[in-house]
Amino acid sequence: MINVNEQQDLLLGVAKKLKKEIVVYAIGGTAMMFHGLKDTTKDIDLVFNNEEDRESFEEAAKSLGYREFDSVIVYGAKKENRPVMLARGKGEAERFDLFNYNVISFFFSENMKKRAENTFEFGQNLILKIADVHDLILMKCATDRQKDAEDVQTIINESQKIDWNIIIEESKHQVTLGKTRATWDLCDFLDRLKEELNVNIPPEVINELINLVQKQAEEKKE
Amino acid sequence: MLKNRKVYIIVLLDLTYNHNIYKLIIVTLIMETKLLLKKLEGIHTIEAVMDILNVDKNKAIYYIYRLRKWGYVKTKVSSDKKRVYYIYRKNRLGGKSYYEVINLYSPIKLAESSFYKVYGREPTLEEALIYAIKSKKVRVLTAALSLFKHIDNWTLLGELTRKNHVERSVGALYDLSRKIMKTRRMTKKLRDSILPEKNAKFAEMIEGFKSKDFKEIEETWKIRIPLNKADFEDYIIK
Repeated sequence: MINVNEQQDLLLGVAKKLKKEIVVYAIGGTAMMFHGLKDTTKDIDLVFNNEEDRESFEEAAKSLGYREFDSVIVYGAKKENRPVMLARGKGEAERFDLFNYNVISFFFSENMKKRAENTFEFGQNLILKIADVHDLILMKCATDRQKDAEDVQTIINESQKIDWNIIIEESKHQVTLGKTRATWDLCDFLDRLKEELNVNIPPEVINELINLVQKQAEEKKE
Repeated sequence: MLKNRKVYIIVLLDLTYNHNIYKLIIVTLIMETKLLLKKLEGIHTIEAVMDILNVDKNKAIYYIYRLRKWGYVKTKVSSDKKRVYYIYRKNRLGGKSYYEVINLYSPIKLAESSFYKVYGREPTLEEALIYAIKSKKVRVLTAALSLFKHIDNWTLLGELTRKNHVERSVGALYDLSRKIMKTRRMTKKLRDSILPEKNAKFAEMIEGFKSKDFKEIEETWKIRIPLNKADFEDYIIK
């Protein structure tokens, strides 16, 4: 597990090796740590604006001893748009998951980028923007790994106020971008959270998502 | 909480060498600190902490000490010499924000609504000024004017100005700062290089805002300034 200080050291290490300035977005446990919602994370999840930036980051990380790691092991073969994964240390203790715009079944949209207000600059060349908590819920729903449900539970319980409209609107936006499963995945994920972990999700949110999925199915039928 | 502390002590005495119990103690301590943080997140004096936790002064000091050990507490001394505790989970992240740089030099103190922190190097005054301009917030701009008192790396300011395309804003704010305080003098080379053409169209620093009091400066730099004399009550106007 990587703690807050180790995470900062890792990012600073890579920043020092970067040859040009790049802007990246932190999602997942990394973003939760920067929001003060978590103390440790298994991996550092980053989203890049383009392939060129991701390659620059990869190159810098590899120069520090990181090597590629099979993403099927963590995400499973069924998941599309898996990240490039780099790992280092005993038992791959330090791991980077590097996404490029596509985060499994979601896009890291322009709206999400605008909402990522908190920024952390590492050295001269690495500008890290932290995904908003609402978007973290969506991204966690996309990755849907063992710990993701618990993380969303923490986000909902600890964040001062969740504006469910932002989440619903973004899922609708994802459908218009071509991620047709977005509302369904979100609906299913939230429903499971409510049922299995008793997370406080207003019933009208799930109802609205079900309506959206139904509407989407009818439109497809026509 | 006191009850919990007693449990730790008993467990510690009996089973210090048991590794799993040690882990359990750490986990419980973390959980208790989290609970404490949740109750105290915000800005407080010691009296407020005593009220919230319903404890005496010594206990309140102890709890603040514990949160400080985790990095959650920043302390400031108010004008009436009282200690004020800023207790936020984000304090633990370290680094230095541009707001902190501005607050160090400005009579107007800014509260952080969003973060921009720098790690691995010391953020410069010149960068803080550019950050303030790009924030497009009246209060941040007003506070950042005092940076001109200390800015002396005009080469760096020139580079950052051109990189961020804020030449007119920097020029206009510099002239404005000279009206309200003593500043270091901008080099002629930089000034000439950032002056707009005489027939250039007006731009806006913040959309929809313009000045009633600093028309001359607006005319020189062909940019609308979102500030008036009344915004500088905390500065001593020349």
